[in-house]
Amino acid sequence: MSALSFIIAGMLAAAMPFLLAALGELVAERSGVLNLGIEGMMALGAVVAFIVVRQSGGHAMGFVAAGLASAALATVFAWLALAVRANQVAAGLAIGILGQGLSALFGKRYESLTVPGLPKLSIPGLSELPLLGGLFSQDAVVWLGLLATLAIWATLRFSKLGLVIRAVGENPHAARALGYNVIAIRYGAVAFGGLMAGFAGAYAATVYTPLWAEGMIAGRGWIALALVVFATWMTGRVVFGAVLFGAVSLSQLAAQAGGVALNSQLLASLPYIVTILVLGAISANKRLLKINGVASLGEPFGR
Amino acid sequence: MTKPLNRRRFLQTSAATGLAAGIAPSIAHAQDPLGIALVVPSPVGEVGWSHALAMGLEPIKAEYGDSVNITILENIPEGPDADRIMNKVVADGAKFLLAGSFGYQNGAMQIARRNPDVTVLHASGFMVAPNFSPFAAKYFQGTYLMGMAAAALSKTGKLGSVSAFAIPELITSINAFTLGAQSVNPDIEVSVVWVNSWFDPAQEQDAAKALLAQDCDVIFSNAQDTPSVVSVCEEAGAYVFNLNSSMKKNAPTKYLGCVETDWSPFFMESVKGHLDGTFEGRNAFLGVEDNVVKVVDWNPDIPAETKAKIDEVEAAIADGSFHPFTGRIVKQDETVGVEDGETLPDEAIVSMDWHVAGVTTPLPN
Repeated sequence: MSALSFIIAGMLAAAMPFLLAALGELVAERSGVLNLGIEGMMALGAVVAFIVVRQSGGHAMGFVAAGLASAALATVFAWLALAVRANQVAAGLAIGILGQGLSALFGKRYESLTVPGLPKLSIPGLSELPLLGGLFSQDAVVWLGLLATLAIWATLRFSKLGLVIRAVGENPHAARALGYNVIAIRYGAVAFGGLMAGFAGAYAATVYTPLWAEGMIAGRGWIALALVVFATWMTGRVVFGAVLFGAVSLSQLAAQAGGVALNSQLLASLPYIVTILVLGAISANKRLLKINGVASLGEPFGR
Repeated sequence: MTKPLNRRRFLQTSAATGLAAGIAPSIAHAQDPLGIALVVPSPVGEVGWSHALAMGLEPIKAEYGDSVNITILENIPEGPDADRIMNKVVADGAKFLLAGSFGYQNGAMQIARRNPDVTVLHASGFMVAPNFSPFAAKYFQGTYLMGMAAAALSKTGKLGSVSAFAIPELITSINAFTLGAQSVNPDIEVSVVWVNSWFDPAQEQDAAKALLAQDCDVIFSNAQDTPSVVSVCEEAGAYVFNLNSSMKKNAPTKYLGCVETDWSPFFMESVKGHLDGTFEGRNAFLGVEDNVVKVVDWNPDIPAETKAKIDEVEAAIADGSFHPFTGRIVKQDETVGVEDGETLPDEAIVSMDWHVAGVTTPLPN
């Protein structure tokens, strides 16, 4: 297997934890709520999924449990941010730390244990292509994740629900005047963000690297958060950024394995540099930023 | 030599005499148990560096029972937080401190200076004081043996290593691994991927996959605390080995073996020294000859003749007649690293910043 086909085959799976978490955050932010607790929600989802799978509940059960656990944690955040009207940055950070602490607590007995991963499902024909074949041989979660991406994009862009979520984020007062329950919609969007972060954590701990170790999320929640901003709250760009990040992460490893004479620290920072540069360049359009930016992001909404 | 009679010794002897008189319980209560505190940077878990350190205390627990009181503080990040926590355990009465990570060095040394009655053992450092011993394992002795086995089993002639950070301890392990492999197959090549993180299972696993994609068929998991690399190699059908504690159950068929560290002989000796008042700080660089470094769980696939040779070399390392870093050793840049017949001194080993020829990946500077 060449280095290139290694990167092509692996980039979607490598992108999946970022992609799922970032899409959830995208929906929450589109509704006007900034949740900085992704890292903690992912960690909680990871440990819950791991425990369920380890107790042979199966991967589907693991994902459901992880999604629910993280959605519950997100709801606590939503209560702080929406009902108590706490500062969203502080509340998000606190929830993130809580999630990481809970994951360490629940995961104590499972430290360094492993579970079986998921088999790859190949598209017949396409997966035998030279070079690109690996792209069409992915685990079930990647396929479902891509479908979910499409669904989220379509919902935000074309459906009434998407329009309402965007309206709530853009101008909550106007949305309320139209008769929409701003707080309820924001609760829903934040809980959905938690659900997706839970899935992202579940993917990291039971499929991508099927083992549990405290701190294994290793900053991926923060990268997901950054992706949403750099992608200027556009679904397509989130996907592009996540896959780009995954691909560059893999290529720096492949470069090292292939003996490329470059500083490995520099190579290791390459995914960050490239993603920032590329997404920074495409988001340089001020007008586009203004159109897509969420006007009421992070602001508490009073009754 | 008469040993000075201190309070502890007095109590020990009087407890022994008191036993006959039936007054032991009250006196035994009067004697405080020795507080031993282990501070480690990662969760102890089932495997890995912190696990190995914690396991090193087990025989002490067994030997001394209630007369020691062992506290393990895990997952303490290096930095001010670690200093605060170490100071706290000492203030709470611990007299024997095990600082389990390089980054604890300054804080632990301060504690040793301020509290002459506290004995400190510090992992992987270089500072020494009368009550402060740095300790490190000669992993390279074990990885040399692993290299011999790896070369005998490799079909592609390409070996790989997933390594955490380019520091001397890890570099020497890779170099010895390469030299051991070359002793069996002079044409062997070793690729290295530096993850630049002590702890990122997903990245480690990707690094292993990248090496496997380059046809490496034996992988050295260098300083990973989780079975990330080991389990992915089992799946891919490549032999794999790691350091510190055995991960055989994560790779039942492809586990090449484990360069295990058993710290207990050193810990036991140091605790004994502390209790007897004979402890002397020294730079403890411990290996096969100290029963600290051991290779366990050898894979049965290793050809019998190679295994016999490995056993021979292991015995020679233990009795000092063989040293992996004996010249002539050529560096990666084709200059001479060690002259013919010379052996690299310990100081040069602990500060090694070059790769031997045969390692294909350039060293980050």
